Amino acid sequence: MRPGLRGPDLRRKGLRARIVLGYAAGTLIVSIVLVTVTFLLARSYLLDQREASLTRQAFADANVLDSRLATAGTEVGDVLDELVPSGGADVVLRSGDSWYSSSLDVGARDVPADLRELVGTEPAASVVVETADGPRLIVGVTLRSSDVEFYELAPLTELRQVLSTLAAVLGAGALAATAAGTAFGVWASRRAVQPLEQVAGAATRIAGGELTTRLPATDDPDLVGIVASFNSMVDALAARIERDARFVGDVSHELRSPLTTLVTSVEVLGGRREELSPRGREALGMVEGELARFRRTLDDLLQLARLDGAAVAESARPVCLATLVRQVLADGDRPAELLEASDDDTTVRGDKTSLERAVRNLLDNADRHAGGPRAVRVGRADGAVLVAVDDAGPGVAPEDRERIFERFARGPRAARRSLPGAGLGLAIVAETAARHGGAAWCSGGPDGGARFTLSLPAVQP
Amino acid sequence: MRPSVVLRHCDRLGSGLRFHDGLPAAAGPARGGGSMTAMALRLLVVEDDDHIRTALRWALEDEGYDVAEAGSGEEALQAVAVSAPDLMLVDLMLGSMDGVDVIRQVRRGLDLPIIVVSARADTSDIETALDAGADDYVTNPFAVKEITARLRALRRRVGPVTVEPEAVVLDRDPVAPLVLREASGTVHRGEEQLPLTLTEFRLLCELAAAPGRVLSRQALLERVWQHGFFGDERLVDVHVRRLRTKVERDPGAPRVVVTVRGLGYRLDPQ
Repeated sequence: MRPGLRGPDLRRKGLRARIVLGYAAGTLIVSIVLVTVTFLLARSYLLDQREASLTRQAFADANVLDSRLATAGTEVGDVLDELVPSGGADVVLRSGDSWYSSSLDVGARDVPADLRELVGTEPAASVVVETADGPRLIVGVTLRSSDVEFYELAPLTELRQVLSTLAAVLGAGALAATAAGTAFGVWASRRAVQPLEQVAGAATRIAGGELTTRLPATDDPDLVGIVASFNSMVDALAARIERDARFVGDVSHELRSPLTTLVTSVEVLGGRREELSPRGREALGMVEGELARFRRTLDDLLQLARLDGAAVAESARPVCLATLVRQVLADGDRPAELLEASDDDTTVRGDKTSLERAVRNLLDNADRHAGGPRAVRVGRADGAVLVAVDDAGPGVAPEDRERIFERFARGPRAARRSLPGAGLGLAIVAETAARHGGAAWCSGGPDGGARFTLSLPAVQP
Repeated sequence: MRPSVVLRHCDRLGSGLRFHDGLPAAAGPARGGGSMTAMALRLLVVEDDDHIRTALRWALEDEGYDVAEAGSGEEALQAVAVSAPDLMLVDLMLGSMDGVDVIRQVRRGLDLPIIVVSARADTSDIETALDAGADDYVTNPFAVKEITARLRALRRRVGPVTVEPEAVVLDRDPVAPLVLREASGTVHRGEEQLPLTLTEFRLLCELAAAPGRVLSRQALLERVWQHGFFGDERLVDVHVRRLRTKVERDPGAPRVVVTVRGLGYRLDPQ
């Protein structure tokens, strides 16, 4: 049997349910044990008491009887009347072969045989018997000098009532204790789970990019360890992320100086193109093309490193996205008719340069994979400003629609040679959107192509 | 003091017949370094990376500039002390003495346009450099065309000096009036000539061209720096700040060059 199949009910329950159940079961068991022990002790104590008092009385009565019988001529029946047993007890006695009783309700038949046997050997004995009227305690004493067996019969109904009341009270107490235990369990489970919920909340925020999130310090000795190790884990994670980001940034910075020299020198060469042989001119053209691509990729890497590093808030200003898109279209020598701007206010708060780059990347992406953008729509929706770039390309398969926003993700038919910078453009769009508190996604376009949407929170007037 | 002249001049300022382009390229680019014209502007390149500096010199000489090189901040200051250039290109990351210090030293005596080369556009060192007196910046890696475009924008000058310089009074302070003489490129407070840099002077002229009217940062960027829509508006803010320290009686409570929140800047003649 696999361990997973054992006790599936309890295992499948949550931690809180298990804590509550544990408390409830614990208090139930403890209270059952306590109640049982208390009841048994109380019962045997009360029974012992009753038996002892009845025995004492029986001895006393037997003594009285004995002394009377010692007086010559005294009839047993007469003496029996003089004995007035207390507490509703009755007396039955045998003298010789005759049986006498203090009441018509009782007689020799009520004295069990085994008690008579016991009384035959012992000076006194007692037994509890069940009768139609309820339990009855019978104490027997032998008066050997006068060959008399003396029995006192006392009903135990009253004792039984006391005991059943006691049982009821104890049972109610046990139930109350169990309920209290369960309630305590609920409270304790909340208390126990609360730190876990804090950890979960902090982990969610960290996963969302708030790397400065830490658990608050605590003086709870049980939690100090957890809080400390959680926080140091986040520290390590943040340091690692920062190191990775800085590495990319550092590498890009290191590449900048040689690239600047290259770009500048090639510009000088470009100015002397006519001095070169035809083959030299071709080679120069190739160097220029590749250098432009290299520069574009490095720019992208630097932009990503920048987005990873600084917060946008510093350079954030109100930017009208419709104007921005119009300007990007104009700068890229694209027809202004592509823009379909709504009359709504499309102002967002952001870094103009980053936003310009994001929009330009969306347009370049359409160039690269879908033969150019078909339309660029700018409008408002639910407190956000949307920039949607539609193309008439083959579209993006639904399973690829998230992946293409990852760094260095390339479309299956990416033209690697002819178009520079493929692989980082959409990642920059996504990062820019995230830095501005917005989002970027890909969906199906109206003409069967793809629609890339950049959504940014609108400035509330 | 002739107020009537001032008013007439303001009208003329509004008509927009003020600048002409003194582009070095227009003076005839000397491709191949052969025939350098006498009008070639002297440009000092301060850059500690030998390769970049050499390549820059080649490229800028091709564009018609007379290029001098300095490999460190100290060298740059020596070169400036011997003979002041017309323009400077300063890398912020130099060795012992950084670019900001060089700019600060040069600005003590010279109003020439200074362009800064910086690693990143969004860092605070750009603002530090602008505060120190730089006029514009390019980010690494750059194309030479970006630099020459910036240099051309900053060298656009006011028209040829007229026989009788006309004056615009910006502040009629009875003791020390603030007077802008656009044609001669000077601003006086009373008898004292204010040490405005070329860019500050041009910024003031743009503002004075439309007294009482708001000019957006965007518009000022386009007119003074010839930057497009995506230019850095910090340039305007920093230069206005610097301009105020020179032309305002109390730079903490500016009255001549006032900020119009959310819109831009306005010049209010006092």
